[in-house]
Amino acid sequence: MQDFTSPQNEETVGLKTEELTINMGPQHPSTHGVLRVQIHSDGEIIRAAYPDIGYLHRCFEKHAESREYVQIVPFCDRMDYVAAMSQELGYCLAVEKLLGFEAPERAQAIRVIVSELQRIASHLLSVGTYGLDMGGFAPFINAFRDREHVLRLFEEICGARLLYNYIRPGGVSRDLSPGVIDKIKDFVKYFKPCLDEFNELLTYNSIFVSRTTNVGVVTGEGAISYGFSGPNLRGSGIDVDIRRDAPYSGYNKYEFDVCVGLGERGIVGDCWNRYFVRVKEMYQSLKIIDQAIASLPEGEAMGKISKSPKPVGEIYMETECPRGNLGYHIVADGTKKPWRVKAKSPCFIATSSLDEMCRGMMIADVVSYLGSIDIVLGEVDR
Amino acid sequence: MSPIREYFQNIYDAVTSTYKGMRVTMRSFMKTNGFRKIRGGYDYGAGPVTISYPEIKDDIPSISRNRLFMHQEGCIACNQCAVVCPVECITIESRKKSEDENPDARTPAEFGSKPVKLKLLRFDIDEALCCFCGLCTEVCPTECIVHTTEYEYSKFDRDNLIYDYLNFKDENPLPKG
Repeated sequence: MQDFTSPQNEETVGLKTEELTINMGPQHPSTHGVLRVQIHSDGEIIRAAYPDIGYLHRCFEKHAESREYVQIVPFCDRMDYVAAMSQELGYCLAVEKLLGFEAPERAQAIRVIVSELQRIASHLLSVGTYGLDMGGFAPFINAFRDREHVLRLFEEICGARLLYNYIRPGGVSRDLSPGVIDKIKDFVKYFKPCLDEFNELLTYNSIFVSRTTNVGVVTGEGAISYGFSGPNLRGSGIDVDIRRDAPYSGYNKYEFDVCVGLGERGIVGDCWNRYFVRVKEMYQSLKIIDQAIASLPEGEAMGKISKSPKPVGEIYMETECPRGNLGYHIVADGTKKPWRVKAKSPCFIATSSLDEMCRGMMIADVVSYLGSIDIVLGEVDR
Repeated sequence: MSPIREYFQNIYDAVTSTYKGMRVTMRSFMKTNGFRKIRGGYDYGAGPVTISYPEIKDDIPSISRNRLFMHQEGCIACNQCAVVCPVECITIESRKKSEDENPDARTPAEFGSKPVKLKLLRFDIDEALCCFCGLCTEVCPTECIVHTTEYEYSKFDRDNLIYDYLNFKDENPLPKG
């Protein structure tokens, strides 16, 4: 009988080994959208992983050049369709800053409430699907059950579940009705125990912990040099949050903690810590919503602003979106339409770290890393 | 940690975390075992969350933005909705009225009784293009173009989604107002 495993065998001596190229995606369930990763693997070990993006490119920036300022807001929604409210907020704040206009206090408080609700919805989707990627179905269902409540609230607030077109330059399109405010209070009360339950179900589950700790470790310096932002950066132990450091829309009025990865399990900067920062942020969002509702000022929800503003100048405005710092760079030339709108996407930056981080990993860990940086391909491609 | 201790610690961790997870699942199962009545709308965690959709429909808020509808008698053909639409899905054609065509006509009171100066020849909305942003309903001076709560209007042909609101015909005609 021939022994093929022995290196001395004359039939295997001449054989050479080579890297195997695998396509992960674009229709892969754990790439969270249409991302294709070209993986060069040596057995189970990854030698290179090249992300291939652009499948969802919809010319946001070019479209914005041919639309009026108010008309661009629906296009902002479609960039990051999971956190559309935050995308609108960043754009509208940029336009308002360009005009030297400040939204009424009530509008600012409403913006804080809706964008924190949006943060909860977005993080729930992120951690729920991460649980699904790691092989747990129940956390996913639990997260989507609670996300559904937020989406229903949004439908009641502005008439749409996903693509809101609610925040406008000058304020918000519709005031919060007293009924909706009560429902938001109910939701905050309901959601806190759900989060504790979620922790029990997924966060401290030993299978989940062993799949995610010490995997995909991004050091603090590494995260800064990649340009990470938001929960990805804080997961690496860097204490930065635009909401606290450069407050916008009245965030300085509310008390909240900036959640940083502390390494409760594993080491700081691994997948588990990035994941747990998101869970902790949901608690803080609840805290902010509570305060914002308790101190909701009376007044107008929409400021007095021209329907088709004609600003002049150049502005760069960054806001803290659920996925990181989203920046809008608007160049205005005094006409109804902007000359150029550039969106700086945090997901694009997170995707660019994929190759370097994945080298030397197992293939199964790529899924873990991809889920933990929480990218939405709509925003990567724009 | 000695290997033996680690071995038993692993078994203990696996059993406890499985137990914790199953306890949460069991709690939800008892809560939503179907004995409770299925209700639409808000019901935070009290009952089943899923509904058997085609038979039971969810409550939709009245401000929900779904298919557009245009009240023909309220339109003054001002073209503002077509201009503000970011995806250009509204097509309006009109001409100036001749003198024998009721020059003093006004829109009904519920549409602001505005003078109608133009004769509307065409008002098409391509619902396949519509992005449901709601900008057209906000600029309309007579509020005759509205978002309805109708969301079941899929068609076999994309051309059938171009609605002609001057001769509006649909399988499920909408109540006026």
